[in-house]
Amino acid sequence: MNKDILFISDLHLGLDKPEITKYFLNFLKNRARDAEAVYILGDLFDAWIGDDDRTPPNQTIRDHLKALTDHGVSVFLQLGNRDFLIGTLFCNETGVKILSDYHVIELNGIRTLLTHGDLLCTDDIAYQQFRIRARSQNWQKQVLSKPLWLRLIAARWYRLRSHFHKRNKSATIMDVNHETVVNVMKEHHCLRLIHGHTHRPKKHYLTIDNQKAERIVLSDWRKNYAEVLCWSDNTFKIETL
Amino acid sequence: MRLFILAAMLLSTTTLSFAKENLMSTPTTKVKLTTSLGTITVQLNAEKAPLSTANFLTYVNEGFYNDTIFHRVIPGFMAQGGGFDTSFSQKTTHAAIKNEANNGLLNKRGTLAMARTNVPDSATSQFFINYKDNDFLNYTSPTVSGWGYAVFAEVIDGMDVVDAMAKQPTGNKGGHQDVPKTDIVIEKAEVIE
Repeated sequence: MNKDILFISDLHLGLDKPEITKYFLNFLKNRARDAEAVYILGDLFDAWIGDDDRTPPNQTIRDHLKALTDHGVSVFLQLGNRDFLIGTLFCNETGVKILSDYHVIELNGIRTLLTHGDLLCTDDIAYQQFRIRARSQNWQKQVLSKPLWLRLIAARWYRLRSHFHKRNKSATIMDVNHETVVNVMKEHHCLRLIHGHTHRPKKHYLTIDNQKAERIVLSDWRKNYAEVLCWSDNTFKIETL
Repeated sequence: MRLFILAAMLLSTTTLSFAKENLMSTPTTKVKLTTSLGTITVQLNAEKAPLSTANFLTYVNEGFYNDTIFHRVIPGFMAQGGGFDTSFSQKTTHAAIKNEANNGLLNKRGTLAMARTNVPDSATSQFFINYKDNDFLNYTSPTVSGWGYAVFAEVIDGMDVVDAMAKQPTGNKGGHQDVPKTDIVIEKAEVIE
């Protein structure tokens, strides 16, 4: 019998949310050990300012990820809009493999598209422009060359700014654009899409070229609630931790 | 005399190894698949896909593919087989091989590529035949996301048989989708030259 494949996203781990870190470490030590693979679809961390940042809880999380991959479980990671600066050092130390922004896996022969979800929110033009800039090598080189303490302060400032920006954005802008979803799924020849980012967990059904398709949105993790999408015995189920 | 024996030994070993290599694969090795719908002849490309062709020939030569089925047929996409027997149980295979999708061969209509799991280097015995140019299965980069599917052979005769396979009704069986309702069996797989 094949082992389970687990999907999680939007944990937003950080020092200010020790409850979620506890959930995650517990997940890595127990539930995840029985899985074949774990796919983390972005925003594992609430902020990532460079692989050299070992301030808590980063190092503990690295150690536990390493223990899991050493145990023989494959762990795959997509970069989110918060932790897109995760790099090779982190991967080498943890055994986690980074996937591209769009990644296709087969689940019992069905092509399934995985993505964080921020690329689908094409109505948020300001963000998409920032994203292009922030994903450029120049921008990243410039940021990562700053001393760690400066990056730590800057990250705090950005988070605060982002909080105020979000308040003024309409709900539709913050959700996925339907047309983009259809186009992306067609482009990758997939009738199933799994993503996070929007914090609107739900299973949506849609039609693409007269064929039934589905879009599964993963739940974010909260202080008192953590959810895992589990592919087991050729079907999906949701497990709460 | 001793020199003669030595020379004879050297000669015989080289001839032997040469003969063995010949049996394994030459750039023109062809394999005939006799199926329940007709015969398909495929030409292997040992030059560009040495590991995949050697792997495929191992299974052919040990009779592994005989009485296996095409268990996943999707018209306009591909037909996959070489892993399940006629009682729909998965056969035990040899170890997985390295993915050779970066060999420049493309997933074009009529080509054979190694099927695999979500791990790039996980192909064993299962292969598929492309019904159309499936560009999205091609290699793009040496990453988990970018490894495509390794093409190693091409149908040179009997593509009409492959097309006929796509016309058979399919359904769900044993937790799998797109399974032909009537078994499409590879009755015999053999090297023909």
